[in-house]
Order: sequence, then C-alpha cells, then structure tokens
Amino acid sequence: MYIPYLKNASIMAKYKLQINQQTYEVEADPQTPLLWVIRDEVGLTGTKYGCGIAQCGACTVHMNGNPIRSCSIPVAAASTKKITTIEGLSEDQSHPVQKAWVDAQVPQCGYCQSGQIMSAVALLNRKPKPSDDDIDSAMAGNICRCGTYTRIRKAIHNASNDISNGSR
Amino acid sequence: MLAVGFDSLAMTLGDDPIVKAMMAEDFVEGTAINPFVIISEKGPITIMATIPELGQGINQGIPAIIAEELEVDLDEVNIVKSSASRKYGAQSIGGSRNTRMLYAPMRKLGASIKEVMVQAAANRWGVSASDCEAKSGKVYQKGTQKSLSYGELVREAAKLDMPENPSLKAKKDFKIIGKPMPRPDLGLKVSGQADYGMDAQPEGLLYATVERCPTLQGGLKSYDKDAAMAVPGVVKVMTVTRNVYGNENIGVAVIAENYFAATQGRKKLNVQWDNAEFTKVSSESIREEMLKLADEDGYEHVEKGNFNQSQVDGSGQIEALYELPYLSHTCMEPMNATVHVKTDGTCEVWAPSQRPQLQRQFAKELGIAESEAEDKIKVHMPYLGGGFGRRSMNDSLIECFQISKEMKKPVKLIWSREDDTTQGPFRQQTMHHMKAIFGQDGKPIGLQHKMISQAITTQGRPSRNRLPFEVMEGINTHYDIDNISSRFVEYTGQVPIHWWRSVFGSTNGFAHEGFIDEVAIQANEDPLQFRIDRLKSEPRFIKVLERLKKESNWEQKLLDNEGKGMAIVESFGSIVAHAVFLKKENGKVSMPKVVSVVDCGTYINPNQVEAQLESSIIYGLTAAMKDPITIKDGAAVQANFDKYRMLRINEAPRAVEVHIIENDENPGGMGEPGLPPIAPALTNAVYDLVGKRIRTLPFDLQKI
Repeated sequence: MYIPYLKNASIMAKYKLQINQQTYEVEADPQTPLLWVIRDEVGLTGTKYGCGIAQCGACTVHMNGNPIRSCSIPVAAASTKKITTIEGLSEDQSHPVQKAWVDAQVPQCGYCQSGQIMSAVALLNRKPKPSDDDIDSAMAGNICRCGTYTRIRKAIHNASNDISNGSR
Repeated sequence: MLAVGFDSLAMTLGDDPIVKAMMAEDFVEGTAINPFVIISEKGPITIMATIPELGQGINQGIPAIIAEELEVDLDEVNIVKSSASRKYGAQSIGGSRNTRMLYAPMRKLGASIKEVMVQAAANRWGVSASDCEAKSGKVYQKGTQKSLSYGELVREAAKLDMPENPSLKAKKDFKIIGKPMPRPDLGLKVSGQADYGMDAQPEGLLYATVERCPTLQGGLKSYDKDAAMAVPGVVKVMTVTRNVYGNENIGVAVIAENYFAATQGRKKLNVQWDNAEFTKVSSESIREEMLKLADEDGYEHVEKGNFNQSQVDGSGQIEALYELPYLSHTCMEPMNATVHVKTDGTCEVWAPSQRPQLQRQFAKELGIAESEAEDKIKVHMPYLGGGFGRRSMNDSLIECFQISKEMKKPVKLIWSREDDTTQGPFRQQTMHHMKAIFGQDGKPIGLQHKMISQAITTQGRPSRNRLPFEVMEGINTHYDIDNISSRFVEYTGQVPIHWWRSVFGSTNGFAHEGFIDEVAIQANEDPLQFRIDRLKSEPRFIKVLERLKKESNWEQKLLDNEGKGMAIVESFGSIVAHAVFLKKENGKVSMPKVVSVVDCGTYINPNQVEAQLESSIIYGLTAAMKDPITIKDGAAVQANFDKYRMLRINEAPRAVEVHIIENDENPGGMGEPGLPPIAPALTNAVYDLVGKRIRTLPFDLQKI
C-alpha cells in the first residue's frame, strides 16, 4: 500500500501500535514498511524479511485477524489496527498449529516458517476443515526454499483435526 | 533434549564500561573434557553443536554421534550452539561432507570419553575397567547395584589420558544412530525465537545497504553522496569492496539509523558505472561461445574402450544437446551480516555463514596478532536461513566489516532480495553434447557425454590445464556399454559461478540421465530395466533400482493420461533414484507422487534423510520448471520472486515417498544427492506422458 500524500514526507511520526495485545510507542517515517518497525523498533524478530514486494510471505502477520504481508504495509496504515505476530500465537509454542508443525517436523532452516504458520492459522480460523485445494490457495503465497510443502499440508490437516477434536 | 541459543547476550563486567562479548560457551557449566563435551558435576552433560545449522539438522546430527559412543541419552544432553573457534576444528559446511567426515572422529571422541569415565569408576571401586560398563550417563559395576554418574566421575576422569584407540560399538548396539529423533531446534523455529543472522540486534545498531554494479564487474564513476546524506536518518555514505573470485567490485554503502532510511538514501545515490565493456555479455552470447566449444576434445574424465572407433563401427547413432541456465541460490534469508568493530580494538561478528571462522582474516585487517585473534574477535554462529552453497562465500560479511571498521559501530548489512538474486555468484550455465552409438542389434555400443561449462575452481586464476575436480560430479560411467567417453570442455566467462546445491551434479545428472532414457527408448527397452541390466557391476545401484521398481509399482500399467519417469544418480557418496508420476486432467498436468529410494550408507537420523530428500526434490523441481537467471547487457534480468519464481505448495508433488536402503556402508552425504536425479526423472516422465523430449531447462510443465 502506498500513501500518495505522504510521498515526500521525511519527518518521523509517532505511532501507537497494538501488537500481540500490547501497545508499543514507536517513532518512524510514515512510509516505513510495518515489517521493519515490528523487527527493529519493537524488537519482535520472528517476522522475517524475504522479498519486500509481498511475493514470499515470510513477513506474514495478522492485521485485525487477516493475514497480510507486513513488508508492503506502511506503518502509518497499521497504527489503528490489531496486529498479531508469530510471538503472539502462544507463550509456550502451545498453539495447535505450532504443535502440529513440531509433530510433523516441518521446519528445516525455519526462516519462512513464521510466515507459513501465520498463514495457516488464518486459514484455520476462517475454515476449520480445509480441503487440499483450500490449503493450496491459502498457502500458495508462502515460499519455502527448503521444500517443506508436503509436511506443511500434513501439519495443517493434523492441526485441523486437533482443533475439531478439542484437544488443543 | 534442549537447544540453547543465547547469541545476543552481552554482560557488563562491574563498573567496566567495556561490554565483553559473551558466547554460548561462556554459560556452560562443568568440566570441558574436550571442547565438544562439557560435563557438570551437578549432572547436565553438554555437547557443543559446532557446525553451522542451515536446516539440515547437523546441530543434532553430530552431537548424536558423540552421544551414541559416550553412552548418554540424547534427551538428557544439552546441545549448545557454539561460536566459531579453531578449537572445534574446521567448521565449514558444504559438499554434503560433514556427517561423512565427522562420523569416525566423533565416534572415537565419544568412545574415548566413555572409556576414561569407566576407568575413573574402576579406580574408585578398585576393580578392573572390564568389570564396569557405561549406560545412560552412568558407570555401573557389573553384577552389583553400584553406579556413579559421569558428573560424579568427571573430575577424576579429566585427569586420565584419553585412549588413542577406544573400542567402538557394533552397529547392532546403536541406540541413537539410525533411530528417528525429533529435532531440538523446531520449537524455536515455530515461535519466532530462533536467532538468524538477520536477527542480531546489538545495542546502537546501524543499518547498511549497498548499491553494486549491475554488470557484476565495472568501475565506479560517480555518485551523489550529498543527496543520500540528505535523507533523514542516513549517517554515512562510503565505498566498500567485494571480492568475487579475484575481481574487486566496488559498491556504495549507505548507512543509516534504520534500514528504511538506508534504502531511501540508496535510491538517491544516482551511481554512474564505468562498465561499458561488461555490457556485451548475454545468455545468448554465452550460448554461442559454448556451442563453438561443443566439438572440441577438452579434458578427459573417463575413456573406456574406444568411443571414436565405435562411431565408425556402429550402425546408428543419436545425438542431443542438453542445456541448463545460470541460477541464483535464493536462500529464504537474503545475504546479510552484522559486525561490530569496537573502539577498544576488539570485534564481534554475527556470521550467517557456511565458513564462519573469520577471525584470522579480520585480525589481519585490524592489526591483531594471529595468536590473539580468537580472544579479540568473537564470531557468533546464528541459524542460517538456508545456505545451498551461497553462504560459503563471505562477501556480505567482508563488506559489513569494512563499514564497521570505518565507523567503529555495530552495523547490520542487509542485501535486498534484488541484490541477492542479481549479484551472483550463480549456479553454472552448461551445455552437454551427448552421443550414443548403436550396434546392428540396435543395442548401445558407445556413449559420450561432453560437458561444456565454466569451472568454479579455475575462476580468477590461470588455467591449470587439467580437469577441475568438481565438474564431472553425477556422470555415471558405470553403465555397461563397451565404449564410454566422458569429457569436459572449459568455457571461461566473466559471470561468476559458485557452489550451488549439488553443484555440477545438478546439471550433469539431468543431461546424463535424460539421455540414458533416450538410449533406452531407442533400444526399445524399459528405462528402469535398461539400467538394472547395465549396472550389474554396481550392486548398490542394483539394490536401489530393484527397490524403486517395487515401491513405485513400476510395472503397473498406467492410464493414458498418466506418465512415469525415473533416474538414478550417485553424488556426494550416496545413490538416489526417483520415480516421478504425472497426470494430465482437464488440460492441467499435476504431480501426484514422487517415489524415492536412497542408499546413503549408515545414516544418523532417518527423519533427516527423508527431509533432505523432500527438500532436494522441491529445490530441483524449482530449477527444472521455474525461472532461469538470464543475462542481458551483462546483468541478471530476474531480480525478485515476481520474475524469479519459486515452486509453491500448489505445484509441489502431493506425496513424496522415501525408502532408505539399510546397509553397513560408511555414511554418504544427504544434503545434495537427492537433487541431481529429480529433473531427469521429471522430464523422462514428460516423455512417457506426451512423447516430448525436454532437453533444455527450465521448461513449463503446463505447456508440454
């Protein structure tokens, strides 16, 4: 998202960001991608930089519950929204999707996995029993160079079963 | 088991304003029996993970080997990620070699420590060592209830001499090696807590980005320093040098208080390059030059029988040209580095590197004596967001070091995705001139594979007039064909190339196994049976092929809209065969299944064998079906994932089945050998499905 009226703005502005149910006060150029504010100003480094053009999904976070690419949202557009990052899923890796990811031994290098998990959580929130096609369309925006795709698919199905069985 | 990562910790020593860099090792309590194993008298046993973890599970794999012979349970061991230090021996990772090379010495290391523990207990009890045995971190006196833990014994054991030749366990007694183990680092990786190089955040950090010459070589004419400096937040603009195989490439670095400001400053640089002479190169011009070399003799790799005579004697021949493009490594974590050259002359480095032992190189630059290099220069080894060979070049670290040395401040240099994709060095572009000669019975009597490419190890140095060691990987000359010729013609070009997952196996394997398929079809034989019948001198190949035949139901007749293809390649000490299944429905081609069989000898963790095969398959399919790096006007055209596309989940095979051959052979590599056979298995399946022979990669599966 590009905000034209801010085109030549170079002044720093103050923002109150709602991240993981906490309020963070930050100062940043309004055009700064939310990604860098989350990582470098707030200090939550679980959200990753992969491409900067919303093509790889490594920077996926939830904004008001929807998965968005934080590399392509200026901080100015995020200041009134509720943001959830990978760190906000659970304190102890106990979110059913995190558990399913470990059970299926999904990550290898792991760099893309915060984004993968955030996309998967959003999918399951929207569609608790996703089909393979649902998984394809919800997860196709997230690239994994280690090629963990078959395990991701399996983990999402397992998490879906765990959630519907109430065993979270 | 526990994984401990506290790479970003620092500690203030009393009132001393100097913050001493604390490394993970500094927090481990206990007696270091040697640099790898630290045993606390209170109980915990720590094994250091000393090899860079780039996703392949090596942080657990090597400690597991030690733990096996040490007779400790892996889930009671703390695995601690080490820093870079020569006390751990060589810490570089590449060539799928680490498990292969460390298997024997690490077993011996674990077994030696176990033996001094047993000896210490025997001494305490006044019995012979043969009356004692070690189990789960304790020594027991046989036939009694008496036991002592390693923690209780460590002080005495540390004083004993390490046996030179400890006895090693029989494979049948292994409790850890060969058994599935969950990885210890995944909890960190599903919660955003794993520390990558990109995540280093020392106090007072500055951020840097570098504008480099698009043609990879070229001089710096001018740039607008003032315009970049005028961007709020930018604190410095300076030149840095990047050495790529002997070429010193100058870049302009913009350093700012935050990364966004640095990128904005970079946009204002308006750099003018003096690179006219480097703009004439294109993928087409390189191809033309290679084509001219295709008939040259080149260097001999293997000559068996007399191929030239077979050309005269034969009654038929087929000839084909296989071609593969330059590719970028494209780690998910773009190249980056964090370096802090401090005002007191010491230095702290966060090195997302496959060769992290940078101390001696940086010491020279800082005027630090070699003997003090490791005291004064601390190198953290963060998790790597992929490596694939790219991170065996430390260019980003050296650029970052130059900036921090100038500024005496902590600096993080981030390559943008575009920098990472366009700046190389790349996987080699290759051409393969293939010939097969057939006798009167229609069976092959001659086979030639002539490969035309740059070599990696001859870049930036005069030719040594011999076959470079790396270039013939994956060319199988074991086929029982009377006359075999395998040759290399060197092309010297200015586009830099570098080790890329499976290196020449990735290019050679495609051409060789694709062409073997052509030969089998020409000889009117089933491609799999053709290989079984002609690899009789190689029993390990036969076992893999027979297993593939069984597990893939190879002989089962497919429907008209289905196709299957297979290939087998030995590389990096392991043999891998894949069978790819394709299906065409409603005009769309999908890949329902890949069946893989691997003989990697003795393996540590079958889960990781499977994971590496799955990974190599996806990496290889991306290379086969997605985008090339095209050179135009001397520069890479594809810059980001919109044009340099990656295989995504909807295009991946629905199922990957992995079968592991059990044997007692020495460990083979696993990070790369799954890659070379996937592209030919795929294109052979395409031939089976639609009768079209793919000889140039990449190709579009939906347009066959």
